[in-house]
Amino acid sequence: MGEEEATVKEPLDLIKLSLDERIYVKCRGERELRGRLHAYDQHLNMILGEVEETVTTVEIDDETYEEIIKTQKRSIPFLFVRGDSVILISPPLRS
Amino acid sequence: MDYPPPGTALVEELDQKLLIQLRDGRKIIGVLRSFDQFANMVLEHAVERIIVGSLYSDIPLGIYLLRGENLVLMGQVDPGREVPPGLQQVSEAEIRTAIKAEKEEARLKGTMRARMDFLDLE
Amino acid sequence: MLFYSYFKTLVGKEVTVELKNDLAITGILHSVDQYLNIKLTNTHVQNETKYPHMMSVRNCFIRGSVVRYVLLPAGSVDVELLHDATRREARAAP
Repeated sequence: MGEEEATVKEPLDLIKLSLDERIYVKCRGERELRGRLHAYDQHLNMILGEVEETVTTVEIDDETYEEIIKTQKRSIPFLFVRGDSVILISPPLRS
Repeated sequence: MDYPPPGTALVEELDQKLLIQLRDGRKIIGVLRSFDQFANMVLEHAVERIIVGSLYSDIPLGIYLLRGENLVLMGQVDPGREVPPGLQQVSEAEIRTAIKAEKEEARLKGTMRARMDFLDLE
Repeated sequence: MLFYSYFKTLVGKEVTVELKNDLAITGILHSVDQYLNIKLTNTHVQNETKYPHMMSVRNCFIRGSVVRYVLLPAGSVDVELLHDATRREARAAP
Protein backbone atom coordinates (compact mmCIF):
# COMPACT_ATOMS: atom_id res chain seq x y z
CA MET A 1 0.00 0.00 0.00
CA GLY A 2 1.28 3.47 -0.94
CA GLU A 3 1.11 6.73 0.96
CA GLU A 4 -2.12 7.21 2.86
CA GLU A 5 -4.37 9.61 1.06
CA ALA A 6 -4.54 13.01 2.73
CA THR A 7 -8.11 13.68 1.64
CA VAL A 8 -11.21 13.67 3.80
CA LYS A 9 -13.83 11.34 2.32
CA GLU A 10 -15.64 10.39 5.48
CA PRO A 11 -15.82 11.88 9.00
CA LEU A 12 -13.23 9.57 10.53
CA ASP A 13 -10.64 10.62 7.89
CA LEU A 14 -10.49 13.98 9.65
CA ILE A 15 -9.36 12.26 12.83
CA LYS A 16 -6.84 10.15 10.93
CA LEU A 17 -5.09 13.37 9.91
CA SER A 18 -5.02 14.49 13.56
CA LEU A 19 -2.98 11.56 14.84
CA ASP A 20 -0.09 12.84 17.01
CA GLU A 21 -1.63 16.35 16.91
CA ARG A 22 -3.25 18.24 19.75
CA ILE A 23 -7.04 18.08 19.50
CA TYR A 24 -10.06 19.43 21.35
CA VAL A 25 -12.71 16.95 22.53
CA LYS A 26 -16.07 17.94 23.96
CA CYS A 27 -17.62 15.26 26.16
CA ARG A 28 -20.92 14.66 27.93
CA GLY A 29 -21.30 16.15 31.41
CA GLU A 30 -19.84 19.58 30.52
CA ARG A 31 -16.37 18.15 30.13
CA GLU A 32 -13.76 19.34 27.67
CA LEU A 33 -10.40 17.76 26.90
CA ARG A 34 -7.37 19.16 25.17
CA GLY A 35 -4.59 16.71 24.42
CA ARG A 36 -2.41 14.90 21.90
CA LEU A 37 -4.20 12.12 20.01
CA HIS A 38 -2.23 8.87 20.19
CA ALA A 39 -4.89 6.30 19.28
CA TYR A 40 -8.54 6.02 18.26
CA ASP A 41 -10.96 3.46 16.82
CA GLN A 42 -14.27 3.52 14.94
CA HIS A 43 -16.23 4.03 18.19
CA LEU A 44 -14.17 7.17 18.89
CA ASN A 45 -12.54 5.50 21.85
CA MET A 46 -9.27 7.40 22.20
CA ILE A 47 -5.98 7.62 24.03
CA LEU A 48 -4.83 11.18 24.61
CA GLY A 49 -1.52 12.39 26.05
CA GLU A 50 -0.67 15.57 28.00
CA VAL A 51 -4.35 16.07 28.67
CA GLU A 52 -5.98 19.06 30.28
CA GLU A 53 -9.55 18.38 31.37
CA THR A 54 -11.94 21.25 32.07
CA VAL A 55 -15.18 20.51 33.95
CA THR A 56 -17.82 23.24 34.10
CA THR A 57 -20.35 23.11 36.95
CA VAL A 58 -23.19 25.42 37.94
CA GLU A 59 -23.74 25.79 41.69
CA ILE A 60 -26.42 27.68 43.56
CA ASP A 61 -25.01 29.90 46.32
CA ASP A 62 -26.50 28.89 49.71
CA GLU A 63 -27.06 32.48 50.84
CA THR A 64 -27.72 34.58 47.78
CA TYR A 65 -29.16 31.76 45.60
CA GLU A 66 -27.19 33.08 42.67
CA GLU A 67 -25.89 30.73 40.00
CA ILE A 68 -22.15 30.36 40.23
CA ILE A 69 -20.40 28.90 37.21
CA LYS A 70 -17.21 27.09 38.21
CA THR A 71 -14.57 25.53 36.03
CA GLN A 72 -12.20 22.92 37.40
CA LYS A 73 -9.08 21.95 35.52
CA ARG A 74 -6.81 18.96 35.97
CA SER A 75 -3.85 17.54 34.08
CA ILE A 76 -3.59 13.86 33.20
CA PRO A 77 -0.45 12.42 31.52
CA PHE A 78 -2.25 9.66 29.58
CA LEU A 79 -5.97 9.12 29.35
CA PHE A 80 -8.24 6.55 27.69
CA VAL A 81 -11.60 8.12 26.77
CA ARG A 82 -14.58 5.89 26.01
CA GLY A 83 -16.18 6.91 22.71
CA ASP A 84 -19.79 6.99 23.93
CA SER A 85 -18.96 10.06 26.08
CA VAL A 86 -17.67 12.02 23.10
CA ILE A 87 -19.81 14.79 21.59
CA LEU A 88 -17.35 16.35 19.15
CA ILE A 89 -13.71 16.36 18.13
CA SER A 90 -11.98 19.35 16.63
CA PRO A 91 -8.57 19.09 14.96
CA PRO A 92 -5.85 21.71 15.50
CA LEU A 93 -6.11 24.88 13.45
CA ARG A 94 -3.96 24.68 10.33
CA SER A 95 -2.81 27.56 8.18
CA MET B 1 -5.40 -13.50 17.71
CA ASP B 2 -7.39 -15.68 20.07
CA TYR B 3 -10.06 -14.15 22.25
CA PRO B 4 -11.67 -15.75 25.26
CA PRO B 5 -15.23 -16.89 24.47
CA PRO B 6 -17.61 -13.92 24.80
CA GLY B 7 -19.10 -13.37 28.22
CA THR B 8 -16.84 -15.63 30.24
CA ALA B 9 -15.56 -12.74 32.34
CA LEU B 10 -17.71 -13.65 35.36
CA VAL B 11 -16.80 -17.34 35.66
CA GLU B 12 -14.52 -16.64 38.63
CA GLU B 13 -17.41 -14.91 40.42
CA LEU B 14 -19.84 -17.86 40.18
CA ASP B 15 -21.16 -18.98 43.59
CA GLN B 16 -19.43 -16.03 45.26
CA LYS B 17 -21.11 -13.43 47.43
CA LEU B 18 -21.10 -10.20 45.41
CA LEU B 19 -21.99 -6.58 45.96
CA ILE B 20 -23.57 -5.04 42.87
CA GLN B 21 -24.08 -1.36 42.25
CA LEU B 22 -26.91 -0.51 39.86
CA ARG B 23 -27.23 2.54 37.61
CA ASP B 24 -29.86 4.08 39.90
CA GLY B 25 -27.37 3.91 42.80
CA ARG B 26 -28.93 0.93 44.57
CA LYS B 27 -26.65 -1.75 46.02
CA ILE B 28 -27.63 -5.41 45.93
CA ILE B 29 -25.72 -8.19 47.70
CA GLY B 30 -26.26 -11.79 46.67
CA VAL B 31 -24.67 -15.05 45.53
CA LEU B 32 -24.09 -15.23 41.76
CA ARG B 33 -25.65 -18.41 40.38
CA SER B 34 -25.79 -17.66 36.63
CA PHE B 35 -24.83 -15.01 34.05
CA ASP B 36 -24.55 -14.48 30.28
CA GLN B 37 -22.62 -12.33 27.79
CA PHE B 38 -24.73 -9.23 28.61
CA ALA B 39 -23.89 -9.59 32.31
CA ASN B 40 -27.52 -10.50 33.01
CA MET B 41 -27.31 -12.29 36.34
CA VAL B 42 -29.25 -14.52 38.70
CA LEU B 43 -28.61 -13.79 42.38
CA GLU B 44 -29.64 -16.01 45.24
CA HIS B 45 -30.19 -14.78 48.82
CA ALA B 46 -30.29 -11.23 47.45
CA VAL B 47 -30.57 -8.28 49.82
CA GLU B 48 -30.67 -4.55 49.13
CA ARG B 49 -28.16 -2.70 51.31
CA ILE B 50 -29.32 0.79 52.24
CA ILE B 51 -26.82 3.10 53.93
CA VAL B 52 -27.96 6.36 55.52
CA GLY B 53 -25.24 8.26 57.38
CA SER B 54 -23.73 5.74 59.82
CA LEU B 55 -26.70 3.34 59.71
CA TYR B 56 -27.29 0.49 57.33
CA SER B 57 -29.88 -2.19 56.73
CA ASP B 58 -29.95 -5.28 54.51
CA ILE B 59 -33.46 -5.84 53.16
CA PRO B 60 -34.17 -9.42 51.98
CA LEU B 61 -35.26 -9.72 48.34
CA GLY B 62 -35.09 -13.48 47.63
CA ILE B 63 -33.98 -14.57 44.14
CA TYR B 64 -33.31 -11.78 41.66
CA LEU B 65 -32.63 -11.76 37.93
CA LEU B 66 -30.80 -8.53 37.08
CA ARG B 67 -30.69 -7.11 33.57
CA GLY B 68 -27.03 -6.54 32.69
CA GLU B 69 -27.41 -3.01 31.35
CA ASN B 70 -28.38 -1.79 34.82
CA LEU B 71 -25.13 -2.99 36.35
CA VAL B 72 -22.43 -0.42 37.06
CA LEU B 73 -19.95 -2.55 38.95
CA MET B 74 -19.74 -5.58 41.14
CA GLY B 75 -17.19 -6.79 43.61
CA GLN B 76 -16.63 -9.89 45.69
CA VAL B 77 -17.63 -9.12 49.25
CA ASP B 78 -14.50 -9.27 51.41
CA PRO B 79 -15.44 -11.79 54.16
CA GLY B 80 -13.46 -9.77 56.73
CA ARG B 81 -15.21 -6.53 55.84
CA GLU B 82 -18.70 -7.66 54.96
CA VAL B 83 -20.03 -4.98 57.28
CA PRO B 84 -18.60 -1.60 56.29
CA PRO B 85 -16.39 -0.47 59.19
CA GLY B 86 -17.99 2.13 61.45
CA LEU B 87 -21.55 1.39 60.32
CA GLN B 88 -24.31 0.16 62.61
CA GLN B 89 -26.98 -2.31 61.48
CA VAL B 90 -30.62 -1.34 62.07
CA SER B 91 -33.99 -2.81 61.11
CA GLU B 92 -35.82 -2.07 57.86
CA ALA B 93 -38.30 0.14 59.74
CA GLU B 94 -35.48 2.17 61.28
CA ILE B 95 -33.69 2.68 57.96
CA ARG B 96 -36.97 3.80 56.35
CA THR B 97 -37.34 6.37 59.14
CA ALA B 98 -33.76 7.53 58.54
CA ILE B 99 -34.44 7.93 54.80
CA LYS B 100 -37.56 9.96 55.59
CA ALA B 101 -35.63 12.20 57.98
CA GLU B 102 -32.95 12.76 55.35
CA LYS B 103 -35.57 13.62 52.72
CA GLU B 104 -37.33 15.96 55.13
CA GLU B 105 -34.07 17.78 55.79
CA ALA B 106 -33.52 18.23 52.04
CA ARG B 107 -37.14 19.37 51.62
CA LEU B 108 -36.80 21.97 54.41
CA LYS B 109 -33.69 23.34 52.75
CA GLY B 110 -35.73 23.53 49.53
CA THR B 111 -38.67 25.36 51.13
CA MET B 112 -36.30 27.82 52.79
CA ARG B 113 -34.95 28.57 49.35
CA ALA B 114 -38.48 28.92 47.94
CA ARG B 115 -39.37 31.37 50.73
CA MET B 116 -36.30 33.42 49.99
CA ASP B 117 -37.29 33.55 46.32
CA PHE B 118 -40.73 34.75 47.39
CA LEU B 119 -39.17 37.54 49.48
CA ASP B 120 -37.05 38.55 46.53
CA LEU B 121 -40.22 39.06 44.47
CA GLU B 122 -41.56 41.50 47.04
CA MET C 1 -9.89 -4.63 18.85
CA LEU C 2 -7.09 -2.06 19.18
CA PHE C 3 -8.02 -0.98 22.71
CA TYR C 4 -8.77 -4.52 23.83
CA SER C 5 -5.26 -5.53 22.73
CA TYR C 6 -3.76 -2.43 24.31
CA PHE C 7 -5.49 -2.95 27.68
CA LYS C 8 -4.25 -6.54 27.73
CA THR C 9 -0.68 -5.15 27.74
CA LEU C 10 -1.58 -3.19 30.91
CA VAL C 11 -2.59 -6.26 32.94
CA GLY C 12 -0.79 -6.17 36.29
CA LYS C 13 -0.37 -2.38 36.24
CA GLU C 14 -2.20 0.13 38.40
CA VAL C 15 -4.90 2.17 36.64
CA THR C 16 -7.71 4.46 37.75
CA VAL C 17 -11.11 3.88 36.17
CA GLU C 18 -13.46 6.85 36.30
CA LEU C 19 -17.12 5.95 35.83
CA LYS C 20 -19.92 8.01 34.29
CA ASN C 21 -21.42 8.37 37.80
CA ASP C 22 -18.14 10.08 38.91
CA LEU C 23 -16.98 7.15 41.06
CA ALA C 24 -13.21 6.73 40.55
CA ILE C 25 -11.70 3.34 41.38
CA THR C 26 -7.96 2.69 41.48
CA GLY C 27 -6.66 -0.86 41.32
CA ILE C 28 -4.45 -3.38 39.60
CA LEU C 29 -5.79 -4.29 36.14
CA HIS C 30 -6.63 -7.99 36.42
CA SER C 31 -8.30 -8.55 33.05
CA VAL C 32 -10.25 -6.99 30.22
CA ASP C 33 -12.57 -8.50 27.61
CA GLN C 34 -13.66 -7.49 24.11
CA TYR C 35 -16.47 -5.26 25.46
CA LEU C 36 -13.80 -3.46 27.49
CA ASN C 37 -15.37 -4.75 30.69
CA ILE C 38 -12.63 -4.33 33.29
CA LYS C 39 -11.67 -6.32 36.37
CA LEU C 40 -9.56 -4.66 39.05
CA THR C 41 -7.95 -6.16 42.15
CA ASN C 42 -6.73 -4.39 45.32
CA THR C 43 -9.21 -1.63 44.64
CA HIS C 44 -9.58 1.59 46.54
CA VAL C 45 -11.99 4.41 45.93
CA GLN C 46 -11.27 8.11 46.04
CA ASN C 47 -13.52 9.80 48.60
CA GLU C 48 -14.41 6.52 50.34
CA THR C 49 -16.61 8.27 52.94
CA LYS C 50 -18.98 9.24 50.11
CA TYR C 51 -19.18 5.64 48.89
CA PRO C 52 -19.19 3.60 52.15
CA HIS C 53 -20.50 0.45 50.44
CA MET C 54 -17.23 0.21 48.49
CA MET C 55 -15.38 -0.54 51.75
CA SER C 56 -16.79 -4.09 51.64
CA VAL C 57 -15.11 -4.99 48.34
CA ARG C 58 -11.45 -5.39 47.46
CA ASN C 59 -11.84 -6.30 43.79
CA CYS C 60 -14.41 -5.48 41.18
CA PHE C 61 -15.84 -6.08 37.72
CA ILE C 62 -16.81 -2.88 35.90
CA ARG C 63 -19.16 -3.01 32.93
CA GLY C 64 -17.43 -1.38 29.96
CA SER C 65 -20.43 0.77 29.08
CA VAL C 66 -20.29 2.72 32.38
CA VAL C 67 -16.64 3.77 31.98
CA ARG C 68 -15.91 7.42 31.19
CA TYR C 69 -12.09 7.43 31.44
CA VAL C 70 -9.22 5.18 32.30
CA LEU C 71 -6.19 7.07 33.66
CA LEU C 72 -3.16 5.21 32.39
CA PRO C 73 0.26 4.75 34.03
CA ALA C 74 2.61 7.15 32.20
CA GLY C 75 5.45 4.63 31.77
CA SER C 76 3.30 2.10 29.94
CA VAL C 77 2.28 4.13 26.91
CA ASP C 78 4.44 3.52 23.81
CA VAL C 79 3.07 6.27 21.58
CA GLU C 80 4.85 5.07 18.40
CA LEU C 81 3.32 1.63 18.81
CA LEU C 82 -0.11 3.18 19.33
CA HIS C 83 0.22 5.37 16.22
CA ASP C 84 1.17 2.35 14.08
CA ALA C 85 -1.64 0.23 15.50
CA THR C 86 -4.16 3.03 14.94
CA ARG C 87 -3.11 3.49 11.29
CA ARG C 88 -3.33 -0.25 10.73
CA GLU C 89 -6.80 -0.37 12.33
CA ALA C 90 -8.00 2.64 10.28
CA ARG C 91 -6.89 0.94 7.05
CA ALA C 92 -8.53 -2.35 8.00
CA ALA C 93 -11.87 -0.76 8.92
CA PRO C 94 -14.21 -0.13 5.99
